[in-house]
Amino acid sequence: MQRIKVLVVDDSRISCAMIADILKKTNFDVVAAASNAAEAVEKYREYMPDAVTMDMNLPDANGIECSRRIREIDSGARIVMISAMKDTSLMMQGREAGITSFLQKPIVPNDLIDALTFLCQEKLSQIGQLKELYVKSFAQVLEKSLFGLVGVHSKVSTEVASGHYLEVTGIAVIIGLTGTPTGRAIVYMDHETMRKFARALVGKEPEDDMSDEDASDAVEEAANIIIGHGASVINDLKEKEMRISPPGTIVGRSIRIANFKMTSFRIKAETRLGDVFLNIGFAEGE
Amino acid sequence: MEAKLVNPFVDALVAVMPQMGFDVPKRTGIGVASQTCTSLGVSIIVGFTKGLRGNVVYNMTEDAAKFIASKMMMGMPVDDLNDMAQSALSEMSNMLTANAATNLAGLGYEVDISTPSLTVGQDFKIKISNENYLVVKMDLGGQMMELNIAVQ
Repeated sequence: MQRIKVLVVDDSRISCAMIADILKKTNFDVVAAASNAAEAVEKYREYMPDAVTMDMNLPDANGIECSRRIREIDSGARIVMISAMKDTSLMMQGREAGITSFLQKPIVPNDLIDALTFLCQEKLSQIGQLKELYVKSFAQVLEKSLFGLVGVHSKVSTEVASGHYLEVTGIAVIIGLTGTPTGRAIVYMDHETMRKFARALVGKEPEDDMSDEDASDAVEEAANIIIGHGASVINDLKEKEMRISPPGTIVGRSIRIANFKMTSFRIKAETRLGDVFLNIGFAEGE
Repeated sequence: MEAKLVNPFVDALVAVMPQMGFDVPKRTGIGVASQTCTSLGVSIIVGFTKGLRGNVVYNMTEDAAKFIASKMMMGMPVDDLNDMAQSALSEMSNMLTANAATNLAGLGYEVDISTPSLTVGQDFKIKISNENYLVVKMDLGGQMMELNIAVQ
């Protein structure tokens, strides 16, 4: 079952603990708590949660102002306002700040769960669909291809990629996906894994000479094969017409690749050569 | 690759940028390079498939990126390349490439475009082709944007 990340904004530690307790046995994970507006904005940026519970009274700004600042970072932020007061004027101001869900204190556990489920419904079903339709196939192809290309077994795991950026030190091969859905795939690994992987691919011994340029070319070719196979499997199984663009290959340190307006997944393959990652992102609304 | 493929991309810049408040961009240079381009700091890669397969990279310095993002955000000051600014730049590259795709269709090449990948970092290189690719330098109100166009 997909876990949904929640940020709790409340200056009362008791309230935070109560909300965490209500959500304990559900699909919602409280990933962070903030006790003021500035901290809320900072934590939102850091965790990029799927939903926020927002107290109206915060020491440095009210919950509406805080929601406005959060929606400046992410215009799609899903926020549930929780306040002792719940009157028309407050709700109108809240709606202007992009809040669509309002609850009154004391919180009735089922009301909170319902409100969050309703807000995240689209996200839940979209993630589930993308995973079922596409990501599973890519994960299987990755595992199979790694064995076929370099003869290694791998332990493959998949999770929803969080954060606005993918940070890579090593090699990243970016391949565009067109058709339905539109997106992009990035195969990446660190320098050390790139060198070992490339040697294994061309059948060289670990101590044999191989330039980094040749190593990156080898990884690029492997990435192209993996993504190409993944797209073919999807096209065959789902009768889609997914196509892939030629690779763009980046080698460097601390390269940040943005993840805007995309639902992305991170597939990790742990192998004896090192970890090989495949980040696959789909444009939102697809 | 054929030099005539430059025009759809240049025309896209000329058509789209003024709609966002820029002066009409001017082409200040054109050339050919091989395989790898060096990022100027901010590089946005967009892939295309179907009638033509390739990549276009919108390559610029961080200062140029801030200038463009600020202009796109109605003159809002952009001191650092924050999420909003990067989102605006991704959107721009999407609009430019979509417009170029329409222009390519006019030449008989129907193409589909991928989502842009905005990449930021120091001193990194991007290999976008196994062969030669075209480099076009455009002047955008005093700032330079480089277009690297690679077609297979």
